[in-house]
Amino acid sequence: MNMPSATSPAIHENATREILQLHRICLQFGAKHVLKGVDLSVKEGEVVVLIGASGSGKTSLLRCINLLNTPTSGGIVIDEEVLFHKEAGGQRQTMISAQETNRIRSSTGMVFQQFNLFPHMTALENVMEGPVIVKKQSKEQACKRALELLGLMGLEEHVSKYPRQLSGGQQQRVAIARAMAMQPKVMLFDEPTSALDPELVGEVMKAMVELAKRGMTMVIVTHELGFAFEIADRVVFLDQGLVAEQGPPDKILLHPEHPRLKSFVGRFHESADLLRPFLEARQAEKS
Amino acid sequence: MFDYTVITNNIGLLWQGLLMTLYFTVITISAGLVLGLFIGLIQLSTFRPLVIFGQIYVEFFRNIPLLVTLLWVYYAFPIFAGVNVTKFWAGFIGLSCYVGSFYAEILRAGVLSVDPGQTDAATAIGMSYGQRMRRIILPQAFKKMIPPLAGQSIIQMKNTTLLSTITVPDLLYQAGYISSFTYRPMEIYTAVGGIFLVILVPLTLLSRKLEKSGALAK
Ligand SMILES: Nc1ncnc2c1ncn2[C@@H]1O[C@H](COP(=O)(O)OP(=O)(O)OP(=O)(O)O)[C@@H](O)[C@H]1O
Ligand SMILES: [Mg+2]
Repeated sequence: MNMPSATSPAIHENATREILQLHRICLQFGAKHVLKGVDLSVKEGEVVVLIGASGSGKTSLLRCINLLNTPTSGGIVIDEEVLFHKEAGGQRQTMISAQETNRIRSSTGMVFQQFNLFPHMTALENVMEGPVIVKKQSKEQACKRALELLGLMGLEEHVSKYPRQLSGGQQQRVAIARAMAMQPKVMLFDEPTSALDPELVGEVMKAMVELAKRGMTMVIVTHELGFAFEIADRVVFLDQGLVAEQGPPDKILLHPEHPRLKSFVGRFHESADLLRPFLEARQAEKS
Repeated sequence: MFDYTVITNNIGLLWQGLLMTLYFTVITISAGLVLGLFIGLIQLSTFRPLVIFGQIYVEFFRNIPLLVTLLWVYYAFPIFAGVNVTKFWAGFIGLSCYVGSFYAEILRAGVLSVDPGQTDAATAIGMSYGQRMRRIILPQAFKKMIPPLAGQSIIQMKNTTLLSTITVPDLLYQAGYISSFTYRPMEIYTAVGGIFLVILVPLTLLSRKLEKSGALAK
């Protein structure tokens, strides 16, 4: 099927292009320093998984990327457009209009832990809302595309149901389709499976792997280290508001260096020892 | 002895009074809704001066007894401002501003009761403040606001009886007038009470029903 522009074959020829760049992002809530200068850049088509202990600032960082949280200082560049720039302590600031902010912001798609579907709209209306209201697409065009996306998410039979009539896993897949409908350049996921019953986790992960296969650029916060291992091109370990260590998944998850990362992946590590032959085979297959 | 003829003989005056009461109920509720929407949204904005203005407005009209507001607008305001205010305008302004402050609070509470995740999701797909409010937040808030709005509007109808103190010829004013020449307050005020019951009891039941169905829809 026809996927958003970000997944066209052209990107693979030009795979070094940076889609998302974060420069020294700092975020304070009152006196509390939550992010202390995070640098991160994400290439087109890359899947980055953010891990870290509870309270390390993963959600906060993700919410800074589309300015749901306004950083105290730092810079955000999305596909060569400056979304935000403010020097620490200084006055210098890139002022872009609220309208521009909304436009650039809508080139990121976000999927929330609690789904946050619009309860007064059907699955189809949820997905059409952004294209029709924000992008002013025609209803027919938006509907056609929404049906494609819902189909891709395996929800053909549920398009005219309301969120309360859907299971958690189905709701989250609608939420993914809703974000994808804006043709984002990068998709942001904040623990997309942690509010789900265990038996529903798989279907959402499958949908995400499907997006990754199609070349979608993704930043994923998850506590599911097995999933991280499978889907990530790069794993980033966030610790107390800073990137403490990052690298390919086998390096970060199987051979961590940072002491807190070591204890963080400890449990995964133990089970990984048992699974090592299997994991290495999978890794070999991947590259 | 309950003399029905006192009522039947003066039914025309009572009818006129009732129409006046209903008229003021409808126009002050309408104006109050517009005012309440405006003040409520102002209070929800992020612009401090506006927020403070909204808060002052709400606390002002909610904490001054309605009777005092009406008397002040009718008797005191014209002296301060040096303008002539008719009793109709005084009644209209006083009652509308009063109910508007309550509606503003209902709106504010309604909007705040919507899950903040809804704002996040709407913002994340690039919606502007206006689009978010119109398409996502207010439709969900209004559902929860129906029962308190209905309740406040019922109170508003009862509050219009205070108009009689500034000589607007509403139902209560006409009742006073009739008893002044018939000397039969018992019959007249019983009739007035009855009229309010007949109108408001069904409306109260209806709003309870709405409240129940609203609770189910949630
Ligand atoms: N709106 C806020 N106001 C004040 N403090 C906040 C706010 N949001 C987050 N914090 C604080 O910032 C810190 C980082 O929170 P954040 O939600 O980013 O962590 P997290 O890594 O996503 O954790 P978790 O794994 O539990 O989701 C926490 O200490 C939290 O209490
Ligand atoms: Mg979090």
